[in-house]
Amino acid sequence: MPLDYPLHRRTLPNGLRVVVSPDHTVPTVTVNIWVGVGSRHEQPGRTGFAHLFEHLMFQGSREVRSGEHFEALMAEGGRLNATTWFDRTNYFETVPKGALELALWLEADRHGHLLDALTQENLDNQRDVVKEEKRQRYDNQPYGFALVDMYAALFPQDHPYHHPTIGSMADLDAATVEDVRTFFTRHYAPDNTVLTLCGDVDPDEGFALVERYFGDLDARAEARRPPHEPLEPLAAPVRVERRDRVPNDRLHVAFRLPADETDDLVAASVALDCLGGLSTSRLVRRLVRREQTAVGVHASAWGLVDGASIGFVVLDVAPGADPQGLESALVEELERLAQEGPTPAELEASLAQTERGWLSALAGQEERADLISRYTLLHDDPGIVNTYLDRVRTVTAQDVIDVTRRWLRPESRAVVAYLVDAPAETEEVA
Amino acid sequence: MTARPVVAPPEPWAFPAPQEHLLPNGVRLLLHDLPGQYVLSLRVVVPSPVAAEPAGQEGIGSMTARLLDEGTSEAGSEEFAERMERIGMVLGAGVSDGGLVVDVDVPQAHLAAAADLVRAALADPVFPEAEVRRILRTRLAEIEQERASSAHRASREFSRTLWEAADRAALPVAGTAATVGALTREDVVAHHARVVGPRGATVVLAGDLAGVPALEVLTGSLGSWTSGTQDAPAPSLAPVPAADRVRLVVVDRPGSVQSEIVVGCPGPDRSLASGWAPHPVLSFLVGGSPGARLDAVLREEKGYTYGMRSVFRPRVAGGMFLASGSVRTEVTAEATGLVVDILDRARDGFTPAELRSGVDFIAKTAPGRYATADAVADESGSLALEGLAPDFTTRNLEAVRALTLEDLDAAYRRTVTGEWTAVVVGDAAAVVPGLSERLGVPVTTVDL
Repeated sequence: MPLDYPLHRRTLPNGLRVVVSPDHTVPTVTVNIWVGVGSRHEQPGRTGFAHLFEHLMFQGSREVRSGEHFEALMAEGGRLNATTWFDRTNYFETVPKGALELALWLEADRHGHLLDALTQENLDNQRDVVKEEKRQRYDNQPYGFALVDMYAALFPQDHPYHHPTIGSMADLDAATVEDVRTFFTRHYAPDNTVLTLCGDVDPDEGFALVERYFGDLDARAEARRPPHEPLEPLAAPVRVERRDRVPNDRLHVAFRLPADETDDLVAASVALDCLGGLSTSRLVRRLVRREQTAVGVHASAWGLVDGASIGFVVLDVAPGADPQGLESALVEELERLAQEGPTPAELEASLAQTERGWLSALAGQEERADLISRYTLLHDDPGIVNTYLDRVRTVTAQDVIDVTRRWLRPESRAVVAYLVDAPAETEEVA
Repeated sequence: MTARPVVAPPEPWAFPAPQEHLLPNGVRLLLHDLPGQYVLSLRVVVPSPVAAEPAGQEGIGSMTARLLDEGTSEAGSEEFAERMERIGMVLGAGVSDGGLVVDVDVPQAHLAAAADLVRAALADPVFPEAEVRRILRTRLAEIEQERASSAHRASREFSRTLWEAADRAALPVAGTAATVGALTREDVVAHHARVVGPRGATVVLAGDLAGVPALEVLTGSLGSWTSGTQDAPAPSLAPVPAADRVRLVVVDRPGSVQSEIVVGCPGPDRSLASGWAPHPVLSFLVGGSPGARLDAVLREEKGYTYGMRSVFRPRVAGGMFLASGSVRTEVTAEATGLVVDILDRARDGFTPAELRSGVDFIAKTAPGRYATADAVADESGSLALEGLAPDFTTRNLEAVRALTLEDLDAAYRRTVTGEWTAVVVGDAAAVVPGLSERLGVPVTTVDL
């Protein structure tokens, strides 16, 4: 079934790209804004800024007092948040139709005039909140640094994806109000932003409202640098070991993949499905069901735009099993997939699950709006929401073989091994 | 700068009403037609209180649920998984305190095949010995994962402290290492025979049903599900609070850079005679946003936390009210004290502005919260398990809109008496002295 979510596009004179996707089944509208700045734009010594900045966007702007953005929208039945990722920062709310204008007014005020309300006090407070976020999500979490280690293992020091969005706490400590002002001026502007309206709104009405509230913001973002040059797969395996108080050993086995929206990345996603992304994947059958040396196997491909994406397999090692044995099994399965390719049943399963996942993601206005913004900002084509599955359907067994041979070679793997730290009894005796 | 716009009131809205049918085997069927929702969500709920699990076999219901799709007389475990996967179906099965919940998503075109597989999983699982051993071992590993996570560990200790030791609610729904470790295939087979059957069951199907012969398909599949052995489900009873529940327990997690705090007390379920409506509003006002009472102080003023939440958590019978979140180790005592103070002070009453904002949030977010097939099926299945009518959600929203300050204050005071059960998971050596001093209550310390 071809998808045909309606998509209407317009660019305001100040460069703001606007997409309106009407859907009158629910009396709500999602406002979803993608700003073209993420942790990949951060400079050494200034990591974590994009994310800290996202927090400050809720602390007031020219006409809006600190905390009012949340309060005003929630009191009208809005559900809202914001997130930061390698490639972008997004801000979104879903509101009853009658509150759409309020949402646009609040967004325009902070996207245009944040600096009027920026204070040292707000900066200090949100820096503390971000530090608690880091403690909660990384420091105090079992396996909390697995992904951070994985990024560092996969990408060289000066690469945009070497460091995580949470950044370095020392860098955040060093941040001044002036740094924040500079960051806003460089990155936050209509000509570096996409705004999507998805829901109970017609195109003409939607464009007119966005024009009314965002039309007088000035274009002023600094020129975007071109994407990082494409990275080749790792030339030799990289291994990072961490010993920690974790319940069982866990391996993240990661690969550089080609950039987002390339045929090779789509085929690589299918290859990872065959290996570990499905409940019938080869590694699940072998390690979880038959040999029972793993209690879980997962695989994912994350599409990214700066010259490389990330693919990884997680092997949750069963208590008592040897992680080395699991890694060897993964290597064997990679070689076998490169040799024999996927079976028709595997291709069918991968496609069927991709279809369900894609349709589920598009089922709600929030996530649909987010995907529309993503493809508009990063690929200048919101229509990908309608065509992505067609592209997946064209993947052949030979494509999977080719991509496995090129991108998923065992010698190109980066392994992050989180290993159980044996209790230090000798120290206690001493 | 354009002037701040005025907000137009929302249009009237009602939770999508189901078409109700009775399948030939007596199973109740609720069909929610939701145009544009191309992935269908199917739920099967079978009432069976977790409290009725045999003593020493706690977790048997969850393990049985997880084993339903691990092999039937027609297809082995891998074959069954492959059949689901090839039609893009995903199935999860577990138990809540009130019974079995099977949760399926499948693209519209494959409903018939999916319904057949669900029927087979419910009616005809064979529980191969090897799969039983694997699922039990996986649960044991999961228990260790939960122990390592502060939030899970806190939640487990909170239930153990809040409820009477002999009450089923004091133990995790999916069992402990001791009880799961002792289970056998025979136990699972017997439990399935006693508990999993069409008697009392409800099937919910939500999604775009245009051109889908849903009634016919479900009559031919789940409508032929039978069981000759299923017992009549026992009624669910509210858990009994522990006599000594008013205390503070520290779970020692040496080296923690944060402490996970849970403070709470027993609460109501959604069938409460005086009405459920105030409770979601109270959850929101106390701990449902960065501007709510807890985060206004602990996050926005003090910067102690990434966020504290409060929630009334209903069970099929009984429930609880709790506030939870994590703070850095150094401020644990002060933060825990502030949480208790804020929760206590709310007994003095809420303001008219709070009433307005809370009512508006709960009432006006409803259309968006129930916009997808998945969300509608979840709510509809929960109502069925809780014995609430399909129009409960709509009627409750009407009651929310009509709430007065007196209703809100009375509901909060009915649950919150100032007698708190508190659990802190953190570095005991670092946090215990401050906690006893700040809270003025004895502290019990237990191992992780």
